[in-house]
Amino acid sequence: MGSAALLFRLILRPMLRERGRSLLILVAVALGVSVVLAIDLASGAAAGSFRSSMQTLSGDDDLEVVATGGVPEAIVGRLARLPYPIRISPRIESHAAVGSSGETVPLIGLDLIAEANHHAGEPVAKAWDQDGLQHIGDLDAVWVTRGLGRKTGDHLSLLINDTTRDFVVRGVIPETSQLGTDAVAMDIAAAQAATGEAGRVDRILIKVPEHGDVEEWQTKLRAALPAGTELRAQGSQTDANRKMLSAFRWNLRVLSYIAVLVGSFLIYNTISVSVVRRRAQIGTVRALGASRRAVLLAFLAEAAVFGLLGSALAVPLGRVMASGAVQLLSKTVDALYISSRPGALTISAASLLLAFLVGTGVTLASALSPALEASRVSPTEAMARGAREYAVRVARWRDLLWAGVLALAAVAASKAPAIAGKPFFGYLAAILLIAACALAVPMLVDSGLGATSGLLRRMLGVEALLASRSLAGSLRRTSVLVCALATAIAMMTSVAIMVGSFRQTVITWLDTQLPADLYLRPAGDPAADRHPTIAPELTAKLAALPGIEAVGRFRAYEIEYQGLPVTVAAVDIASPRYDSTSGFASGRPQQVVMRELAEPRTVMVSEPFANKHHVKAGDTLVLPLGEQRVPLRIVDLFYDYANERGYVIIARQNMLMYLPDQAASNLAVYVQPGADLETVRREIQQAAVGRDILIFSNAQLRHEAVRIFDQTFAITYALEAISLLVAVMGLAGALLSIVFDRRREFGLLHYLGASTGQIRRLILTEAGLIGILSNIAGLVLGVALSLILIFVINKQSFGWTIRFHWPVGLLLGALTGVYAATVLAGLYPARVAQRLNPIEVVHED
Amino acid sequence: MKEYASEGSPVRALDELTLDVAAGSFLALMGRSGCGKSTLLNLAGAMDFPSSGRVLLDGVATGGLDDAGLTRLRREKIGFVFQSFQLLQTLSVAENVELPLLLAGRAQARPRALELLEAVGLTEQAQRLPHQLSGGQMQRVAIARALVHSPVLLLADEPTGNLDTTTGDAILQLLKTVCRERQTTILMATHSMEAAAFADTIVRLRDGRVESMSGAPAGMASS
Repeated sequence: MGSAALLFRLILRPMLRERGRSLLILVAVALGVSVVLAIDLASGAAAGSFRSSMQTLSGDDDLEVVATGGVPEAIVGRLARLPYPIRISPRIESHAAVGSSGETVPLIGLDLIAEANHHAGEPVAKAWDQDGLQHIGDLDAVWVTRGLGRKTGDHLSLLINDTTRDFVVRGVIPETSQLGTDAVAMDIAAAQAATGEAGRVDRILIKVPEHGDVEEWQTKLRAALPAGTELRAQGSQTDANRKMLSAFRWNLRVLSYIAVLVGSFLIYNTISVSVVRRRAQIGTVRALGASRRAVLLAFLAEAAVFGLLGSALAVPLGRVMASGAVQLLSKTVDALYISSRPGALTISAASLLLAFLVGTGVTLASALSPALEASRVSPTEAMARGAREYAVRVARWRDLLWAGVLALAAVAASKAPAIAGKPFFGYLAAILLIAACALAVPMLVDSGLGATSGLLRRMLGVEALLASRSLAGSLRRTSVLVCALATAIAMMTSVAIMVGSFRQTVITWLDTQLPADLYLRPAGDPAADRHPTIAPELTAKLAALPGIEAVGRFRAYEIEYQGLPVTVAAVDIASPRYDSTSGFASGRPQQVVMRELAEPRTVMVSEPFANKHHVKAGDTLVLPLGEQRVPLRIVDLFYDYANERGYVIIARQNMLMYLPDQAASNLAVYVQPGADLETVRREIQQAAVGRDILIFSNAQLRHEAVRIFDQTFAITYALEAISLLVAVMGLAGALLSIVFDRRREFGLLHYLGASTGQIRRLILTEAGLIGILSNIAGLVLGVALSLILIFVINKQSFGWTIRFHWPVGLLLGALTGVYAATVLAGLYPARVAQRLNPIEVVHED
Repeated sequence: MKEYASEGSPVRALDELTLDVAAGSFLALMGRSGCGKSTLLNLAGAMDFPSSGRVLLDGVATGGLDDAGLTRLRREKIGFVFQSFQLLQTLSVAENVELPLLLAGRAQARPRALELLEAVGLTEQAQRLPHQLSGGQMQRVAIARALVHSPVLLLADEPTGNLDTTTGDAILQLLKTVCRERQTTILMATHSMEAAAFADTIVRLRDGRVESMSGAPAGMASS
């Protein structure tokens, strides 16, 4: 028999005959693959935007000079006076919120005359035409990208730091590859005035001669720069950002494969059912001359059909999901890492390849074992379902033993350290636990159903007896279904416990972090790497207001440390209120640590910083501050969940010795005991008239922090929901095939006096029992996985200490929802079973 | 009359058939494959309905009953025995026998099932699974199951078709005893003359019609 004919008779014809079941499996595969594709596209789009955010209009420069809190302007002159043929472009880099839309865009200050000369003839230089450049001395002249929808002569109000001002558009920058995002450009002098950065620039870009060795130039130029400045290859910030985000993207990608993993159980089940169901047919075609290889290929082809069609469906589906995911991702990236704007979503050849490789790869791998089993069917073999089921039954104890061995191996793997910052052994531990669960499930199903069938019959009637017996009778099939659903439930449970624990930890942490009554910051969207400032005169004014006990100042600067972005912050360490609980790794009271931090050349670092850079209390960091490189002793590690970049905190009075910049990024206002909070708030508002300052009460800030937290994990829940959907759809498909296989039994029950309602209840009870068993296995596995997520994967990836917490309400709700969904998955198969013609099915042989 | 649609054209499985079966009689239906034996059993068991004409069971027309009424009828008055036994492999022998009572929600199912198992000589096998029994034992379990709810009509479709002669004879003897002692009416479809010999009346069917009738005048046929 030819392979094509074999494929058609054994595989395609049955697939077409059971269209409903085939379609469900196909959609389940497509959903799984589309999630992988969506996350790949969305995280790629988010990552793509990092280059464009601050490197807008960077051009072809080779090197850049940066310093904590900005580079003194004098260094621009010093570099310009060097006898080298280099091009120097100083820049101011800030952010501005566009008045009408509130959208935050990069604000770039450039030497526009020099830019017009450097880029003469290039599209970007068209913006700096002579008409526009005649306004170069105007402090309100701005040039905008086309995406902002303004034309020359338009007025534009911009919020920069704490002040909104009116500007006039003097030119429109055409779209070029140098942009990648919307931006506002100004002449450098106007930008310095607008941002309050007099005497400093944020970055100096340097272009060395075409044929020169960049590293050689770097050595030469470094000699001319003070120790506190950093000279590095232009674009290294992008690499640092990518590096910083790699753990986030990596974990997200791993999470996106869960739906595919769930799908792989379903494919395994589908092909196994095909093989069991067609044993007699396989025996017949083998007797007629089909080789083992032909049978193997025919069954692999069935998986490949699901894989290829599923992948093809996944491409448009993944594209749609990606557009939703990219919005969520960019908010998370903004809140935890860096200002970003989502780039364009493009389905490249690589994305298509990924979809098809994942789709067909996973389905073929899942189908291999049952397809090999099919190829081993001898020509003389007839229906041997009973023998196979028996084989599974007798292997229960052996499998349970292996489950124990794998669980022990998982414990061992969870103790191993990270490799290159990636928790590979944590993932291995998770995979080993899932495998251990899969091996333990047949015992759970068999003993669970065996022990409860009598009770079930008494409680739920004869349908429950029949349901439990038939599930136990098809142990292999039931176990695979339970495994698929349990894996999805376990993932949901573990992530819910991890996120719930994290959330509770953050809420507890906020109590220690927010001792003040009111908090102030400049208006505009917050982001982890943006620190707009409040004018120092306002701080002084507030401190003098009646009813205010003290004003605490917080000033943050962005630096790069060991190739990773870090936030260095100066804080007022004298506080009228210290929290009684310690927020430090040492467990010492806050007051004691603060007293130590008041000493010169000391810092405290956040837990994620310590984890990333492998430092501990007592170690010394060397940081570029002002024009010096300063050695600083770490007095303690503090728990921090504000962002993943990591903080280095210095006492304000010590920081001012190196960076005499009085402006603060945030203010904490302590209201005098007995003073009315609302009255003080109104007084602050009056004092801040003319400035765009946001005032948050303690409760509002807490609420805002929790809102950002929930928004961050929204995508995680979306991924979990899709995995569950895949599992439930797969279950519906599997129940349909159960109805098909047991049609004679259902027909017989009609002969024996069963009503159609009883047949429906029988199927729904089976679905419900699968749901209960899956919930039990999923909950146990989920709790174990949550320990790995919290104490291994999270700790090694992000460095956060999360305290274990049971989100009881969330778990109860989710598990009830899953149970309801599994019962609902039985509705359509039950309908099909009700419509079977008993005479036909009982008499067919 | 009973017609089926086969590939678009009607096929007449039973044609102008009238058959009166007296309560407590044992009637064998004989004829070649496709002559209408199984169709007649399904009509009698209210699993199917005539295209024209009617089936009366204890004076009740099956065609006039709704789904619930038909289910009730099967639960109370009809028992089925099949050629391939049709036992549920995942239930024990006792559970198979009590199944009709459980489906009907009747009390005391287990004692009644054990009583029937004793009647068919399988008390010892009550807790076994069907695949642990011989073919003859399986058919005896099927008969016990068909009788557990004390039906007035037992329909047996080739009950000895999968059994050797000795075992088959034992099964037929059992059916005959049931008919005598419990006054259960039995309609048995069979190919075998030897099997039919156990019945009171033999009705031969040909092309959906009654060809001949022999034996004691327990039934009357015309076509």
